[in-house]
Amino acid sequence: MVDQWRRVGRARTGTPRLVWGAVTLAVLVLGAVFLPWLGELDESLIHYESVRLAPSLEHPFGTDAGGRDLLLRAFAGLRVSLLVAVLCAVISTVLGVLIGGLSGAVGGWPDRLMMRFVDTLNSVPHLLLGIVIVALYRGNLTAVVASIALTHWTTVARIVRAEVLSLRERPFIDAAISGGASRWRILHRHLVPAVVPQAAMSAVLLLPHAVWHETALSFLGLGLPPHMASIGNILAESRAAVMTGAWWVVAFPSLVLIATTLAVSGLASVWRDRLVPRRRSELAL
Amino acid sequence: MIVQGLSVRFLLRGAEVRAVTDASFELRPGRLLALVGESGCGKSVLASALLGLLPGNAEVRGSATLDGLDVLSADEKTLATKVRGRMIGLVPQSAVTHLTPVRTARSQLAEAVRALKPDQDVDELAERVGLEPQALDRYPHELSGGMAQRVGIAMALAGDPQIILADEPTSGLDRPLVDRTMDLLAGLAEEGRAVLLITHDLAAARRSATDLAVMYASRLVELGPAAKVFDDPLHPYTAGLLNALPEGGFRPIPGHPPELTHLPDGCAFRPRCPVPDTCGDDPSLVAHGDRLVACRRPC
Amino acid sequence: MLSGTGLVAGYRRGVTVLSNVDIKVDRGAVLGLAGPSGCGKSTLAKVLTLLHEPWAGEVTLDDVVVRRFRHAAPRAQRTAIGVVFQQPRLSVDPRFTLREIVVEPLAANGFPAEVGDLAERVGLTEDLLGRRPHEVSDGQLQRACLARALALKPRYLVCDEMTAMLDASTTAALVGVVQEEVHTAGVGVLAISHDEELLSVWADDVQRWV
Repeated sequence: MVDQWRRVGRARTGTPRLVWGAVTLAVLVLGAVFLPWLGELDESLIHYESVRLAPSLEHPFGTDAGGRDLLLRAFAGLRVSLLVAVLCAVISTVLGVLIGGLSGAVGGWPDRLMMRFVDTLNSVPHLLLGIVIVALYRGNLTAVVASIALTHWTTVARIVRAEVLSLRERPFIDAAISGGASRWRILHRHLVPAVVPQAAMSAVLLLPHAVWHETALSFLGLGLPPHMASIGNILAESRAAVMTGAWWVVAFPSLVLIATTLAVSGLASVWRDRLVPRRRSELAL
Repeated sequence: MIVQGLSVRFLLRGAEVRAVTDASFELRPGRLLALVGESGCGKSVLASALLGLLPGNAEVRGSATLDGLDVLSADEKTLATKVRGRMIGLVPQSAVTHLTPVRTARSQLAEAVRALKPDQDVDELAERVGLEPQALDRYPHELSGGMAQRVGIAMALAGDPQIILADEPTSGLDRPLVDRTMDLLAGLAEEGRAVLLITHDLAAARRSATDLAVMYASRLVELGPAAKVFDDPLHPYTAGLLNALPEGGFRPIPGHPPELTHLPDGCAFRPRCPVPDTCGDDPSLVAHGDRLVACRRPC
Repeated sequence: MLSGTGLVAGYRRGVTVLSNVDIKVDRGAVLGLAGPSGCGKSTLAKVLTLLHEPWAGEVTLDDVVVRRFRHAAPRAQRTAIGVVFQQPRLSVDPRFTLREIVVEPLAANGFPAEVGDLAERVGLTEDLLGRRPHEVSDGQLQRACLARALALKPRYLVCDEMTAMLDASTTAALVGVVQEEVHTAGVGVLAISHDEELLSVWADDVQRWV
């Protein structure tokens, strides 16, 4: 008779995504933070001796039309992109949690009114709305952040509201009311702690979205001023260069962008899977 | 099916949960074995182990053999293509949540039949469990609790399995429905199947079981013909449970069951036992006529 | 006395769950309510605990007619009636420890958040109090729910299928705790259950619904 302990259960997945996502993101973020300090990068200088050099050991990503090292530029750009994205994600999430949470907790006609407003906002393409906002106050960081944050909080608001609505129907809220808890106490003792993980989750999922949005605005020339070049600015400048056969000016900055968004999304999806309440049988109760 | 020395443990951070310890029993055709015990004693884990549905952090020991196949060491492919549904049918705990809400009961039952044994008639299967064929055209939320439970039993029968495993099939149902479900399960045993019923409801077990197994803190403590165990419980835990019934005196067993992370090597019931001094503190089962008891009190 | 007269209630317009129900729960006694699932027993429990506003009829609490429900009901009225639900797992905030669950009503009403003798009365050990719901069994969790319902010394207690998920021994233990309250503190109990066997032992009087 077999008398050894043996594993029979199905292992949890997600570890490769976790490892790859974490390693990629760590490399990119460290690069964005430290690389721009390593080399001298003066956006206003043009190095005529090194215009559009193909990738080499000296310039792993090649150089651009201004003769500047693209590795340094791409990571400097990533730093700007990430800064904008984090600001946007934080602002959208705070707005979304406040508006969605209150809307769901209050209910009734204020809730319906707010949700119609959200629907209206969502029915206009976000990029278009963003462009309008940037066009009104063009050319600075605040305008770009505002244009993205003001168009993306609705997603968070919807998620938080749905969560609050479903929580409100749970018996434990009934038990709290019966125990004499005020609306305010239920909100901050039960509802807010319950939606925080969800909200944090959606903030992380917003990051890649905000990066792309900013890139799109900058690519269209409506984003950040040239002295704060983000990846979008770099790509916009490099459009013409591709025609001359200098593929690297577009390829490498794009690659950095794609790797960043993939890593963040991958990590977020692992996190989301772990957020799902543990199956009871896992704890043998 | 012969289950021998079945143990299941879970490895959590820094702790080992012993959910099932050294369980041996037989599921025989024509018999309905009821496994009773309080919530958290490991009885549902035992059921999951027989179906190969344990989570990733579980480890098993022992064997459960049916037609020469040990389902405990079978691989996922064998379990999926030979065991689940075909050899062992599962009656779910909550049939309504077990069905997908977006399709009718008929389409789900028909799918199970197609996958398992295509030559059957879906209506006939429904009638066998006392369900009007028209009821199958409803969506799960339109079914009453009792009808949904019947759909669940019909699904378990779709692959014509030798063994029916019912894990708390009556929780949340009211008494007449519990009785009807129990009669239906007893009927399945009479057809020649082996039924394993897992429940905390002693009245339900009493109504339909031919054999009774009592589980306490991961171990079987008493096993025998249901009528005899109910009439004359040999293990003090069994006696305690029966005394706790409204009709048995309504006296709770003092104290709490031990944690499955900190099980004693000896008898786990000893701290709550009314007569702890006279025993040998050995938790293994000994034969007592046609029964097995984990107690060495002189009787 | 906690009573309802001519109660009509439901959730969706046009679908009446409770139609013209009269019920009286006296202090110091246990009224059993038996009936099949889906007959509106749980809705009645929610109306009598002031958690659901009836469409018509009156709820009277110690000779005072209740005018408002849920949050709008005065705190003193809400806390005069304790409630225990069928499924302990859904009735507690999964983030709380058992201790936090038990003392939450005390904290919400400005009393010191101390478990005191509550834990001992329902049979919860110090170790169990420190755990979260997913680390205890249904029976242990329901003990915490009963302690929570008793924390504010309610004059009435509504037990909506309190023991349906529990094994015989835990059932007997929890009903014993409730009976203790009935005899010592004169709590009036509405015991809703589909288990007539149980009600015949527990309740002084049983109402049957069809």
